Amino acid sequence: MENKISVRQICFIMLMYTAVSKLILYPTVLSYESGRDLLFSALLDFAVQGVIIWAVSFLCSRTDKTFFGLIESTFGNIFARVIYGLFALFFIICAVIPFMEQKLYVHSIFYDTLPSLPLFLSVMFFTVYAACKGFRNIGRCADICLPIFAISIIFIFSMSVGEADWGNFLPVMKTPPAKVFSASLATVFRFFEPCWLLMFMGHFKYGKGDAAKITLSYVGGALIVMLFLALFYGVYGDIACSRQFAIAKISLFFPAIDLVGRIDLIALYALEIVMLFAMVINVQMCVHCFVKSTGYENRAVWSVAVNGVLVILLLTLNTKFNAVYNVWAKWMWIVFIIFANIIPLLAWALKKGGRKEEAK
Amino acid sequence: MNILQKNIKSVKDVLTSQDILVFEFDSLNGKRFAAIYADGIADKQLLGELVVKPLRSAAQDIKLDAVKRLLASPEVKDGKEISDAIKEVSDGNAVLFVDGEKDFIIIGLKNPPGRTVAEPPTQIAVKGPREGFTEDIKTNLGLVRKRLKSDKLKIKMLKTGKKSETAVAMIYIDGVCADGLPERIEKQIASNEIDIVPDSSYVAKFISKKPRSLFKRNGTAEKPDIFCAKVCEGRVGLIVDGSPIALTVPYMVTEDLQSSEDYYALTYRSTIVRILRVLSLLVGILLPALYVSAQLFKIQLIPFQLLLKISSSVSGLPLSPSIEMFLTLFILEVLIEASIRMPNYVVLAMSVVGALVLGDTAVKAGIISTPAIIIIAFSAICLYTTPDLVETTTTLRWIFLILAGSIGPFAVVAFSAFILCYLVTEQSYGVPLMAPFAPLIKNDLYDSMVKANLYKLKNRPQAFKAKDRVRLKTGVNNGK
Repeated sequence: MENKISVRQICFIMLMYTAVSKLILYPTVLSYESGRDLLFSALLDFAVQGVIIWAVSFLCSRTDKTFFGLIESTFGNIFARVIYGLFALFFIICAVIPFMEQKLYVHSIFYDTLPSLPLFLSVMFFTVYAACKGFRNIGRCADICLPIFAISIIFIFSMSVGEADWGNFLPVMKTPPAKVFSASLATVFRFFEPCWLLMFMGHFKYGKGDAAKITLSYVGGALIVMLFLALFYGVYGDIACSRQFAIAKISLFFPAIDLVGRIDLIALYALEIVMLFAMVINVQMCVHCFVKSTGYENRAVWSVAVNGVLVILLLTLNTKFNAVYNVWAKWMWIVFIIFANIIPLLAWALKKGGRKEEAK
Repeated sequence: MNILQKNIKSVKDVLTSQDILVFEFDSLNGKRFAAIYADGIADKQLLGELVVKPLRSAAQDIKLDAVKRLLASPEVKDGKEISDAIKEVSDGNAVLFVDGEKDFIIIGLKNPPGRTVAEPPTQIAVKGPREGFTEDIKTNLGLVRKRLKSDKLKIKMLKTGKKSETAVAMIYIDGVCADGLPERIEKQIASNEIDIVPDSSYVAKFISKKPRSLFKRNGTAEKPDIFCAKVCEGRVGLIVDGSPIALTVPYMVTEDLQSSEDYYALTYRSTIVRILRVLSLLVGILLPALYVSAQLFKIQLIPFQLLLKISSSVSGLPLSPSIEMFLTLFILEVLIEASIRMPNYVVLAMSVVGALVLGDTAVKAGIISTPAIIIIAFSAICLYTTPDLVETTTTLRWIFLILAGSIGPFAVVAFSAFILCYLVTEQSYGVPLMAPFAPLIKNDLYDSMVKANLYKLKNRPQAFKAKDRVRLKTGVNNGK
């Protein structure tokens, strides 16, 4: 019961969390790498991930088993535990950049002064609590976040759409394809949604057409990001690559801001709630994997341990974001491709065992 | 000593208080009777009219059965054990002993002092019924019966409190209420042993699975129309003797954002008012915290022109923004607390002291600023738009203020996320507190933040898992 989630909630997760996790530094990096053709790099990323999302969600229509169950029935329990242990470590790797990015973002939009790291670490009381909860909580959080996300994103987009100069994109496709491709590769570590879906497998009741719903939700999330990228580059043009924390900068030129102050901050603060839920989902997945891998079901202990590791990493790497980012962009993409792309596809080769409904 | 005197002595040996009265009288043929009752809670006039008068005029020697037939009271039953007699007398009923008879008769004459039915002060409605519950359980049950005449209405009487033996009426509609829910609640109440249960809030703690939580797990109703509507949706209602506040479970947070008037007023108006309440709630909780964090950490949050006004108000203040807000809020809380406790004739003086001395003079003396007073006053007004949540929201306001003053606006956002995460996990008897928003229940959204047309509310809330889901069947042209 604690680990049940509905298809609707998965769709919300795919729509929202995909979008909010790519609104801070992703646009800046893309515009730096591929300039005015940043949309093509993003499109490449999303197209590949979209296919994998579809493949995993379609796999869910073939079996009632969880991913753990699939590995277990094919290679045995020990191997399944090992794989889940590796996934737990992978989710920690997934969580590092979002946490560091959030720290910088929070310092930028919440404080005029330069606050110390412990101020950001106050978020840990939330992440520790949230990570103790199962998929049911993740799903319900997605339900409650959707209206917050919708209102705030519409608010921010509507404030910036009038300021965008679409001529900034011209001439189209002038960036060499190799650069567009390398930009996609350098940002591939931001795409771990197929792994979430892999973990949700077997924890929701699959109905007819659910694979299409999940994939379309992901496409919806991708479209929001693409629209945001278009607005961002439309507003800032060639200097977009120097505009960090894109979502906080995009509505700065809205005329009413001069009169009524930074009203966009209200929407940004509301959106930050959704961003925190998106940030913590990797930690929640990590705890889930550790529980399955070790068989020790006290989630609170795992939550404290995983968050403790993240705190240590944040404290150690506090001033080294650029270095960490470079390592992730240059070297870690292979890890992300293996875990988030190849393994989900390989899951098709596992013994599926059919669906109960079909058996009936 | 004859049997009659023995019986009287048995009761008086246990009930030694002087308010336990014994009235002995004879019938025309000399048969002796003794009525024992508790002065103050038994109706003496009814005792005279319905019991003493007919028995005194009895000419022949009569046995216990004949005595029962002679009595004009409709609430009469037999008693055998002296312990039962003691219990009934303590409860406010009269016990009639007959000379030569070991058994006795219990006569329902309970009439404790109480208020008449009036409009409750916290649930005033411009439109709709104005009757409110009183402290008397019988009156309250009558008010419920008046509205729910269905044979499916079930009322189960329970007792709680070792010394007080407070009566609790558990009310539900058979076939509508979820299976096993009344039994679970009964078990939960029975599992608690306490000396006295003076109010329904004690029972609320008993039935809550997390009594230490900041967020309550039961709804309340002070008006029978609200109570009956909730019971008809599939909830179980609890009326506690001595309390004008009835309880309902399961509970959803949205029900505290609704008022009875929403159902009697125009749909559009009700929706606007509900959205207004939600916004007021958010403003009431977060405004002091955001103001402090804006001043301390993110000045851009305040529009420039307003910032100029604020800076002129706060310049020269000896206190930091957080301490200033803390102090203003502290004064407000003290004023509210004092004005509730003070006698009415002092409240006027208190208002003058609060408004003029503490407010105006403190600003003029440069101790606190005008914006701080405006913000706290507005926050207080906002929170009272949802009076049932005031205990929780005022506490949250303190927590947010402390976090904003020490960590800044990010703590406000992070704590909001924490509360959301907590609320979506919690349940009240299997019903998620944040339903119908999390989990999203489309059918129930029609009566949540939005108040849809009556014809849209065809089904009972899905969240309560009611067995009979349909509550409205429309005619051919109705609702079109």
